[in-house]
Amino acid sequence: MMRNYRNFGSISRRAVMVGGAAAVATRAFGAQGSSALGTPESPVQLRVISDAAYGIAWQASMVPEFNKLYPNIKVTIDPVPYAELLAKIMLDATASQPTYDVIIVDDPWTPQVARTGALLDIRKETAAWTDPGYDWDDFNAAPLEATQWNGVQYGVPLRSNMLLMFVNKTLYKKAGLPEPTPDLTWDQYLEQAPKLVQDTNGDGTIDAWAIDTYFKRDALTPTIWQAILNANGGSLLDKNNKPAFNNEIGVKALKTHIALLKYAPPGGVSHGYSEALQSFRQGQVATSFMWGSVYRNSAVDPKTTTLKPEEVGLQVMPVGSAMAGAHRGIASGTIHAKSPNKQAAWGLLQWFSSKQGEKWHSNALGGFPARKSTLASTPESEWLSPVFKALQQGYDTIEKGKMWRLRHPKSDAVQQVLADAVAAAISGQATAEAALQEAAVKVEKILR
Amino acid sequence: MSDDTFGSIAHRASLRSGDRVRVVASIVAALLFLFPVFWMVLTSFKLQKDIFTSPPTFIFTPTLENYVSYLQRSTIPHQMLNTVVVAFASGIISIVAGTMAGYALARLRIRGAGFLGVLILMSRGVPPIALAVPMFLVGRAFGLIDSHIILILAYCTFLIPYVMWLMRGFFKALPKELEESAMLDGCNRFGAFFKIIVPISVPGLLSTLIFCVILAWEELLFAIVLTNRVASTVPVAIVNIAGDTVNGANWGALTAVGTMTVIPVVVFALLVQKWLIQGLADGATKG
Amino acid sequence: MSSLKAAPVRTWHSRTERLTDFVSRWAFMSPAGLILLAMLAYPILYTFEISFSELDLSTFTATEWVGWDNYAEVLHDTRFWASLKVTGVYLLLSLPLQIVLGFGIAYLVNVEWAGRGVIRALFLIPMVVAPVVAGGVWRMMLDPLYGITNYVLGFVGLGPYDWLGDPWLAMLTVVIIDTWRWTPFVVLIGTAAIMALPRDIFEAAELDGANWWAKLWSITIPLLLPMIAATFIVRWLGAVKMFDIALAATNGGPGASTQVINLFIYEEAFRSLKFAESAAMAVIVLVGTMVLTAIFLRGSRMLEEMH
Repeated sequence: MMRNYRNFGSISRRAVMVGGAAAVATRAFGAQGSSALGTPESPVQLRVISDAAYGIAWQASMVPEFNKLYPNIKVTIDPVPYAELLAKIMLDATASQPTYDVIIVDDPWTPQVARTGALLDIRKETAAWTDPGYDWDDFNAAPLEATQWNGVQYGVPLRSNMLLMFVNKTLYKKAGLPEPTPDLTWDQYLEQAPKLVQDTNGDGTIDAWAIDTYFKRDALTPTIWQAILNANGGSLLDKNNKPAFNNEIGVKALKTHIALLKYAPPGGVSHGYSEALQSFRQGQVATSFMWGSVYRNSAVDPKTTTLKPEEVGLQVMPVGSAMAGAHRGIASGTIHAKSPNKQAAWGLLQWFSSKQGEKWHSNALGGFPARKSTLASTPESEWLSPVFKALQQGYDTIEKGKMWRLRHPKSDAVQQVLADAVAAAISGQATAEAALQEAAVKVEKILR
Repeated sequence: MSDDTFGSIAHRASLRSGDRVRVVASIVAALLFLFPVFWMVLTSFKLQKDIFTSPPTFIFTPTLENYVSYLQRSTIPHQMLNTVVVAFASGIISIVAGTMAGYALARLRIRGAGFLGVLILMSRGVPPIALAVPMFLVGRAFGLIDSHIILILAYCTFLIPYVMWLMRGFFKALPKELEESAMLDGCNRFGAFFKIIVPISVPGLLSTLIFCVILAWEELLFAIVLTNRVASTVPVAIVNIAGDTVNGANWGALTAVGTMTVIPVVVFALLVQKWLIQGLADGATKG
Repeated sequence: MSSLKAAPVRTWHSRTERLTDFVSRWAFMSPAGLILLAMLAYPILYTFEISFSELDLSTFTATEWVGWDNYAEVLHDTRFWASLKVTGVYLLLSLPLQIVLGFGIAYLVNVEWAGRGVIRALFLIPMVVAPVVAGGVWRMMLDPLYGITNYVLGFVGLGPYDWLGDPWLAMLTVVIIDTWRWTPFVVLIGTAAIMALPRDIFEAAELDGANWWAKLWSITIPLLLPMIAATFIVRWLGAVKMFDIALAATNGGPGASTQVINLFIYEEAFRSLKFAESAAMAVIVLVGTMVLTAIFLRGSRMLEEMH
């Protein structure tokens, strides 16, 4: 008792020094006693599995920050390459004694992992340890829904992301075109695109193009098509879980995606995430449909980009016949149902997704928040203000148009089929109609 | 292994004109094959903004940043050490087991040995992806996930058939009188093998070892599936950099890692190069 | 009489001897046999089992025997056949290219001069570069916008080519990268093989006044044939499993024009989590590989016997 009390005192002192998050830490601590959250003599060992892309940065800077509040929870984040992450999660999570307490899942993965019974009902089971100020309703619906399945909340959004339109304002100016606004329609966009393929230095060769984005064979390439499909009022499946994309709207969206290739840099057909990012950062393309999270490395950090924040606009993708476009990609934190360290795991996830945690994350690492209050606040860095505005716009659009990948235990198998179809159509190996027809047959078979 | 086995048709004091053409042509071929390697090394000294310039640049301010930032990643030295341990351990185990099996196939007439040999060779035809998951399940059942031993054993499964087939050919080329005279002198079969056959096969063994080490050195799939942290290897670190979903692939860092992972193997290979060629010649000709 | 008496003793004696002999022979096979059995028996059985079953992803065990369903599913998938075709094209292009190029370079390298050792050692490097890095470096060099390849070809009036965007050029690119990576292996075996050829035959031919072409065509190549066949088999078993280069360079694209079978199996298992179907494909590929390997082994034995 004595030891616990002493421990409690030292923590809260440190927490006060850290700042606003003190309340969360002390309350959680005071309510439950410290053994579930570790003691200096026997700290809790928390194992986390995550995409290497942010897992490495989290280990380096998020964990030390977290340990200022919870010094007795030792967090080890194992970074895994994205391509193998889902399979690794499935293999480990289904063990009788799984290695990982905390599993960071990508947007479409919750049903696949939850179906094996591996995930904790995070909202219900952690209620006793949740700070009253945590405020679940503060989350935007879109990011929170990423880890809902069959009415259960399995996770909290940690690193929100969405496909948005990046704009190189300098190239628009050079082409004599007005800067795009969120009201820009696809028709306007495609009408302006030829003018954005230009020779900027007057040496007689084209050196700037209108667009670079996902064109190559990749599981994420269909997300561009899906964003256009959703913006035109289409959807992947109908109410009975039957393919609904094999129609005029789907074909038109795919043809729009294909049309973009005409205004892309040479070799665009083999471009994906890294290549599109590169050409945007080099100032070679006027627009890019890209994950918003790359904003910092594309507009702010002089080590990685040639552009400056004032040159780079960020907004929702062009407006289709129904609404603007976007596409959700949320990395969420979930807890394994068999974890012996559930309270400590929730300590980590609760802090990281709390108002304070989100603020720290966006200011220190440029991570995107999911909470309305964070997005409405004034960020420390000036460049984040317009980004926050675009994000709020994006969330609203996403929620309205249900712009996400399939939420189903077989969603990745479906995504792979769509990737094949879209790639075949973009590379000209099949017509848009034939590619979608074939995909529809396969998707129906998978979902049966 | 008498000296004249090594006599080459070109063994002449001075080069003839035809040979001179061959020397020049071989240098040209080497330059062509090394150009991507040169480009890799060149890129590793470039800043991100110099990598993607059009037209490509040869003149730029070199930077060591890629190497420095790579070495600063806390997991790298550990992963490097793991790679060395796993590659050499699996190489050595495979050499011992594979060599004995190769000898059995070449010299000890066992009923069905030829069939067994072909079967072992054909086990290399199983797509590795199919093996990774069940091997993980086996490892998990024995609590061996994320241990060096499971990775070493997994690598042995694809190295042993290779060693066996190569060494079989190598032993077939040896004169039979060698162990016959040894056994007449009172050695048993093991004595003859370890005292007579192995010593004269050292060059072949080392060359095979180099290939085993190279194959284990760059293996990725099993490393990802079977390890998490403790036994994780450099190829995993490399894909983590390549598949960066936040910053996009950082080619400066990637080429720096690429360059640094090549160096130890090349040095090791240079050290035993003389034996390498010799061993391959004898092992492979009769394969 | 005495021989009759002695016979049972000798039989008994030789039976022990035979047993010791039998045990000692198998002792040589056993380490390899045990490791392979321990590590491969279950995985291979598991692969066969789940290829005929439905897989429960919450335990990774087979739940229900479904007979040939997974096979039927795979055989009806056009992507499977397309990837087999792509693999066939890749093998037909790259294997002969690597063997011819490898032995050709080995022949060129095999002149005795001071730099020979260094050249041979340098030829090892492409094999050691990690596939992910190799694929990336080649992508950089082949990029139509900032790549060095088109820049250089431009000087001689060729191109620009979209190496990764055109289906046929993309296949060619994968073949080129794979050839760059694995020809060095053939070169090393080839140099060794040429060095091991008996010198006296060449000397006799020279006395007969044969020129270098006649020597190459009627002595060197025939003597090398068994060796070429052996290298071919080793390369074949490696190449048929290739997917790392395709993954790093093209990810199977554009369209599905470079999606080799092992890349497809990998994606079906690790991305789509369709482990049962991918197991069925693995079994089909294994059987196909075994049949073709058997044919190649027979062919190489015929070449050995000719020699």
